[in-house]
Amino acid sequence: MSGFLEKLIAWMPSLLRASWVTLSLTVTSVSVALIGGVFLALGKISKPPALRSFCSAYIFFFRGTPLLIQLYFIYYGLPMIHSSLVIHSAYLAAFVAFSLNVAAYLAEIIRAAIQSIDKGQMEASRALGLTYAQAMRLVIIPQSYRRMIPPICNEFVMVLKDTSLVSIIALMDLTNQSNILATRNTTPLVYIPAMILYLVMTGAFTAIFNRLEKKLSAYE
Amino acid sequence: MTVVRTENLCKSFGALEVLKDVTLAVEQGEVLAIIGPSGAGKSTYLRALNGLETITSGRIFIDDVLVEERRNGHHVHRIPPKEYAKMLLKMGMVFQRFNLFPHMTAAENVMLAPVHVAGAGAAEARRLALEQLEKVGLSDKVDEYPSKLSGGQQQRVAIARALAMNPEIMLFDEPTSALDPELVGEVLGVMKTLAASGMTMIVVTHEMGFAREAAGRVVFMCDGVVGEEGKPEEMFVNPQNPRTKQFLNSIL
Repeated sequence: MSGFLEKLIAWMPSLLRASWVTLSLTVTSVSVALIGGVFLALGKISKPPALRSFCSAYIFFFRGTPLLIQLYFIYYGLPMIHSSLVIHSAYLAAFVAFSLNVAAYLAEIIRAAIQSIDKGQMEASRALGLTYAQAMRLVIIPQSYRRMIPPICNEFVMVLKDTSLVSIIALMDLTNQSNILATRNTTPLVYIPAMILYLVMTGAFTAIFNRLEKKLSAYE
Repeated sequence: MTVVRTENLCKSFGALEVLKDVTLAVEQGEVLAIIGPSGAGKSTYLRALNGLETITSGRIFIDDVLVEERRNGHHVHRIPPKEYAKMLLKMGMVFQRFNLFPHMTAAENVMLAPVHVAGAGAAEARRLALEQLEKVGLSDKVDEYPSKLSGGQQQRVAIARALAMNPEIMLFDEPTSALDPELVGEVLGVMKTLAASGMTMIVVTHEMGFAREAAGRVVFMCDGVVGEEGKPEEMFVNPQNPRTKQFLNSIL
């Protein structure tokens, strides 16, 4: 047992470094995807047919193909199409792939939340003279925040675990690092601290989003 | 001067004709009550006036200006969108289900349009909001969220919200139908005060007492047409149209 503790202490620095890769990749890509998701959602429920079709097609594509293939393709495939499309950093390639992919999922979450707001809210806004854009920005979207929180939290947790896919482009995330340590030390026990680190991170997301949900429900 | 006038207004939802050749005019300062069975097209008429429903054919005049004319669903005439938006601001609307913004306090609900549509400063808009809320008897509720207010109080906030844009005419779409019976009186009271102050009003209502007392003219609608119109004392005492008679007998 004391041997395991010693090993644990020895593994910790590299596991923590790898956790940081996992965490930062998740937070940055989901944040960017949130912005993209808002625009995709608004585009999908807007009037112009070209914009609607583009947003629908985007969502169809990125939800309908495996993230693993998207990741492969962005890192290995794009440079074959044109040399200017090469992304040298594996981290950056993963960030791009996750941002693009997660945006499609978030778009549907955001669209559903927006469309769940009672139609009377838009009618009252228009009757008061607000433009469609003002009504969206001031009345509809603020009310939809609270309804998006649980599925967005879910998305964060899913993405945090899905980042384990990046080992295929040789990025040293928590899963990849654990695998390497497990092989090198010929012990699968390294997965125990790895799982605990995952739980700490997903637990933190859940706690943050629970607080956010409470705060946004204040008026109800 | 007529504030609102329609000529041969028609509205269809697919094959269903909801409004058939509705020709009505409302003079400045007049209180018009629209009564009739559900499905008669009363609410659709109000919603067509302020652009929430697109008419199929007919003409709409606001302040004697032809703002929209359609034939078979196609535009024959319309004023530029910016001017149309300005024209619509002359109408305030109160909905059956209040439609207050739940994430804003009573005062914020009232302030929203003055700030974002009329361009008032926040302090000025707040002062105006408190003034309007005082008029509807809610000075003690200005910073409450709608969820903390009764239905009657919510509807009064909705009236204050519409009044804050200084409309020339107020459209009421069954303003008391969603209220518990004991809360109807407070809303009707506010509306009567408003009528007495000279506000032009169109009120779609099932409150015959209100129509009789506060309205200058009553219109009976059924099956999308104006079945009868006249002074309340005449129509309630001696209705001419058998459909009016039948309707009044069924609810009085």
